[in-house]
Amino acid sequence: MSTKVAESKTSVGNASPEKVPTLLSRLLGNQQFLLLIAFIVLVAFFTTRNSVFLSNGEFSNIFADFASLILLGVAETYVIATGGIDLSVGATSGFAGVVAAFAMRSMHGGEALILIVGFVVCVAIGALVGVVNGILMNYAGLVPFVATLVTLGAAGGMSIVLTGGAPIGNDPSAIATTISIIGPFSWPVLVVIAITIVAGLFLHTSRFGKYTFAIGSNEFASRAAGINVKRHLMKVYVLSGVLSGVTGMFFYLRLGSGAPTSGAGAELSAIAAVVIGGASLSGGSARLSGTTLGALILTTVTSGLIIMNVQPNWNQVAVAILIAIAAGFQTLRPSKRRK
Amino acid sequence: MSESSATPLYEARNISKSYGSVIALSDVSLKIHAGEVIGLVGDNGAGKSTLVKILSGVYQPDNGQLLVDGVDHSWKSPHDAMQAGVETLYQDSGLAPDLSIGSNVFLGREKLRPGILGKLGFLDQKYMEVEARKDLEKVGITIPASKRNVSQLSGGQRQAVAIGRAVAWARKVILLDEPTNHLGARQSNEVLSVIKAAKERGLGVVFISHTLPHVLQVTDRIVVLRLGKVVKDAPTAEFNAESLLGTITGLNGAKVEDDDSESVA
Repeated sequence: MSTKVAESKTSVGNASPEKVPTLLSRLLGNQQFLLLIAFIVLVAFFTTRNSVFLSNGEFSNIFADFASLILLGVAETYVIATGGIDLSVGATSGFAGVVAAFAMRSMHGGEALILIVGFVVCVAIGALVGVVNGILMNYAGLVPFVATLVTLGAAGGMSIVLTGGAPIGNDPSAIATTISIIGPFSWPVLVVIAITIVAGLFLHTSRFGKYTFAIGSNEFASRAAGINVKRHLMKVYVLSGVLSGVTGMFFYLRLGSGAPTSGAGAELSAIAAVVIGGASLSGGSARLSGTTLGALILTTVTSGLIIMNVQPNWNQVAVAILIAIAAGFQTLRPSKRRK
Repeated sequence: MSESSATPLYEARNISKSYGSVIALSDVSLKIHAGEVIGLVGDNGAGKSTLVKILSGVYQPDNGQLLVDGVDHSWKSPHDAMQAGVETLYQDSGLAPDLSIGSNVFLGREKLRPGILGKLGFLDQKYMEVEARKDLEKVGITIPASKRNVSQLSGGQRQAVAIGRAVAWARKVILLDEPTNHLGARQSNEVLSVIKAAKERGLGVVFISHTLPHVLQVTDRIVVLRLGKVVKDAPTAEFNAESLLGTITGLNGAKVEDDDSESVA
């Protein structure tokens, strides 16, 4: 094989010869590929421990857990790509589910119509929280961490206040929707997967996605290039809120009620999925495929530990270890980023 | 000073800007004609970068007017200035390092795909990568691959991309804030030849630099700022290295003088 001659006639800068990476080294440098391997290894490992793990029933559980995590993971991927963080996603999902549950409980009519109204209410509540986040950042000048900490507290607190801490509603028709229809997939899970695919295509191939990364990579350059940064950030946080609202509806369907604490702490799992997926918390680089694999790995480990009869409290420790490994990999890999 | 009869491409009239009690610019006026390279020099804190950001629409002046082809414009955002044909290279911070070269060249002016996908906001990424390469080549900059992220480029290559982007898009004026900063001698010369090529295309160029030999080499006029005021605006031929430095620092007896009374230092 002839070595590839650097094609650069670079008129400015040093024409450093290109190194042609071998397939193997390219794969090993690819976080998505490593995550996929890790996922397969985990599934194989848990299956050898207990063959029930590979069953349809167990997989339908894993995908249901995965679905409630990945939507928040999608939200967090967009937000983290801008260099921000949204701590309010979990509390918002619980709040949206509670408000929707009140609305649905007061309704009379067809089951499907009631669920559609519930869905719309969830989206609206989520969008509202997103707008509040945007206003706190754009007009009150709060950094994303603080702005979304405010709404985390507000949404979480309101959920408890409104419900007195007890779940609202008892809706068997909701739970009925979560029965598997194709293999281990129920229709809400299929909807979530569809949303995830569309959100991934949108993030990586649309102008909206380009601006999202541009702002996270260099906010000044984005503004100087004519991008309305504030307006775009508002849209991203509204999107995050809407996805949180949809997650709230998903919780409602699974539980058959609006539970005030259903999303509590979910933001941390979502952020963990994004970090395991290889995103940079300083913004500018993230891949939704990475987040998806991160969420799959997290839910696999959680389910696997249960099936191995490990005390559930170890779960958080396992997640912590996963985050540490993923973060460690990022620093070990040859840095593509030159400051 | 002989008044040029032609309407300037771009003119700033009596621009003032303060931050709280700090006066950054006070009554600054500047004219840029087609095919003219203006050197904008001054010590740190003289107000050069503030002036550039006002000219490019990033900041809004407290007072004063900006005129393109004699028509009053007030930029609400950099987007307005770009639309009017004014392009800017910002000191050190004009590119998004995590995006590809092609994406950076087209940042803020993305090409959408034809048809329904374009309406939905999906990008014609391939078109942008190919065109970015052509655009940069047109202004004399050849890049290895426009798919590559800017973070993988050397400092000189990044600067080349940033300048190439500005020159490729500019229809009237380019503002270059320290384009030769951090560059080696050879790379700096490349930048200077890009400036000359832009001038030959009939663009107006504002060249900001601390490297006075470069300023003396490529500019037609030099505007000296000191403490937010224009202290001298004269043809480059009237300066030499020593007198220019003296005017910038104010240490050779050159006083802050009115435009009409200026003489060769």
